[in-house]
Amino acid sequence: MEQAIIVKNLSKTYGKIAAVSGISFEVAENEIFALIGPNGAGKSTTLRMLATVLTPSSGSVSIYGLDIQKDANKVRQIISYLPEEAGAYKSLSGWAYLKFMAAMFGDGSAKEKAYVDFAAEITGLKERLKDKVKTYSKGMTRKLLLARTVMTRPKLAILDEPTSGLDVVNALEIRKTIRDLSRQGMTVLLSSHNMLEIEFLSDKVAIIDRGKIHDIGTAEQLKQEYSAKNLEEVFMALTQRQKVSV
Amino acid sequence: MRKFLILVKKEIQELLTPQMLVPLVAVVLVFVFIGKIMGNETAKIQAPQPVAVVDLDNSSLSQTLIETLGKNNISVDRYSNKATSQVIKEAKQKNEKAVLVIPSGFESGIKNFIPQKVEVYTILSNFSFLGSRASQSVVVALAATNQLISSQLISQVAPNANQVALKQPVLTNDFVIVGERQANVNPAVVSNFISSQTTFIPIILFLVIVFASQLIATSIASEKENKTLETLLSSPVSRKAVVAAKLVGAGLVSLLTAVVYLFGMRYYITGLTGSATSSAMDEATKTAVAQLGLTFGAFDYVLLGLTLFLGILAALSIAIILGSFAEDTKAAQGLIAPLMALVLIPYFLTLFLDISTLSPVLRWFVYAIPFSHPFLAAPNILLHQYTNVWYGILYLVVFFVVAVFIAAKIFSSDKIFTLKLKFGKKKGSI
Repeated sequence: MEQAIIVKNLSKTYGKIAAVSGISFEVAENEIFALIGPNGAGKSTTLRMLATVLTPSSGSVSIYGLDIQKDANKVRQIISYLPEEAGAYKSLSGWAYLKFMAAMFGDGSAKEKAYVDFAAEITGLKERLKDKVKTYSKGMTRKLLLARTVMTRPKLAILDEPTSGLDVVNALEIRKTIRDLSRQGMTVLLSSHNMLEIEFLSDKVAIIDRGKIHDIGTAEQLKQEYSAKNLEEVFMALTQRQKVSV
Repeated sequence: MRKFLILVKKEIQELLTPQMLVPLVAVVLVFVFIGKIMGNETAKIQAPQPVAVVDLDNSSLSQTLIETLGKNNISVDRYSNKATSQVIKEAKQKNEKAVLVIPSGFESGIKNFIPQKVEVYTILSNFSFLGSRASQSVVVALAATNQLISSQLISQVAPNANQVALKQPVLTNDFVIVGERQANVNPAVVSNFISSQTTFIPIILFLVIVFASQLIATSIASEKENKTLETLLSSPVSRKAVVAAKLVGAGLVSLLTAVVYLFGMRYYITGLTGSATSSAMDEATKTAVAQLGLTFGAFDYVLLGLTLFLGILAALSIAIILGSFAEDTKAAQGLIAPLMALVLIPYFLTLFLDISTLSPVLRWFVYAIPFSHPFLAAPNILLHQYTNVWYGILYLVVFFVVAVFIAAKIFSSDKIFTLKLKFGKKKGSI
């Protein structure tokens, strides 16, 4: 299996604060790779760098053989990024938003209509797509945005907390969509602080805290390695944090 | 190019929301409404003003005075045998504007060359611009009465004398010079005309610049807040196109706003000064103004429009940079404040002062503010100082290009996401 992503010694600093400190990992094609860690661990900063939104302070990232800094425009053509708690243009209808984003990835050909049709199917919003985005619930907006992210069938989907703040039903639907699309050939790099969700969804997991990756492996490997019942306990063991009893 | 046009369309769709359009239409309707009221009130003021006259003399000369008042836009309500205090009371009830009391012995006194005092009780019910016009009518009517009676007196004393030479031995013949052109006209008339034609330009420019700046800064802040900008900038679209689309979208919406404001303001100004101006603007004045070249030709309008549009673009380009610092829409409003100062300084200075007479340091400071040039464009064009206008245009173009370059640099780097200034609750506050 070829490597879709190769990250080497990647760092991002803001003044004296290091958000990400020399992390390295590789993601294979068609794999669902998850970065898990608490808030402020460096997950979003890492994903934003890979999405070409932020510039790395040092290190290198190759996505399908393309350098994210030197070939940023080419990288943008094969990836799609869903930021954490992102919104859509409130004055546009769901349809108009999908059409707009399809046009940003398309070239005016029939492909764009195919993108929109595919996205519409994923959202399951049907007639509600004619309504303005501002009338949507959080779950509906998140489904719209996930559909927008994957409608171009990108080689790599970068999803930052895709189910953050969603109820169980909506979160399950989104997880299922991600799983299905991955099986159809899409590589997924996602982040979450919901470790149980990641255990269910991911092929491989990297545990990140305070800007550093502490270990990488499948959920089963990590649990065995640290004699843990779940990833939450693995995380606690790796970061030497005390579990707070409630 | 296709993506750019789609981006512009999206910007316009995002900007032309009911939240933006409703206040805009409301402001224009208010202008039109006030203009309509002002027009009606101006017409009322130009109708004869009701004035009570207490004639305690009942002479032929007091009768002449009353008739002269009638001929000078005064509607006389005559009393003969009532106490002044009672007449004032009744005049108030009748909403009359003044009470004139012609004293007993008025005619005999004047005939004996003793100046007579007519008491004028002006009933002030408000201090508005239009309210003061009624008392002005009384003053004008009394001046006409004085002229008439003094002519009669001169005729009695020196029947063959030249009355004009006696009353006004020094006459003026006014000429106004603008550049190489000259016209036989009173300078006050010319100034009033120019004011009526150009007063609304800086007001509209000020409103549009403030509006446009808030529009684009809020748009960027909102995109950052909703993270739609992150989504957009991670897609295969040129970041320069994103900046340009924001400028063009906001620029077009601002132009629409300018046209709407222009319509509303024109209606308001016409209501305020319409009939008065048209009566004052006789053919002689129109000819003189044309002789002086103090009218806008087609090319002048293009030049003025270009300067105003470049002024708006300069504001947009600064606002796009300031908006990049905003983390949310609330912060964007605060960040626009320095821009407002840059607009207010030339707005007030050009309104009240002649910039060319300022000290060199102050003058160049004013010229360095890009918004000074749109404010100065109209008077410069009317005074045929085209070189100044072209320098202004050149400066605005250079300023705009540099600001857009900086904005594009910010958008092309991750500074667009890392530059932060927030005017909200401080960390740790409840």
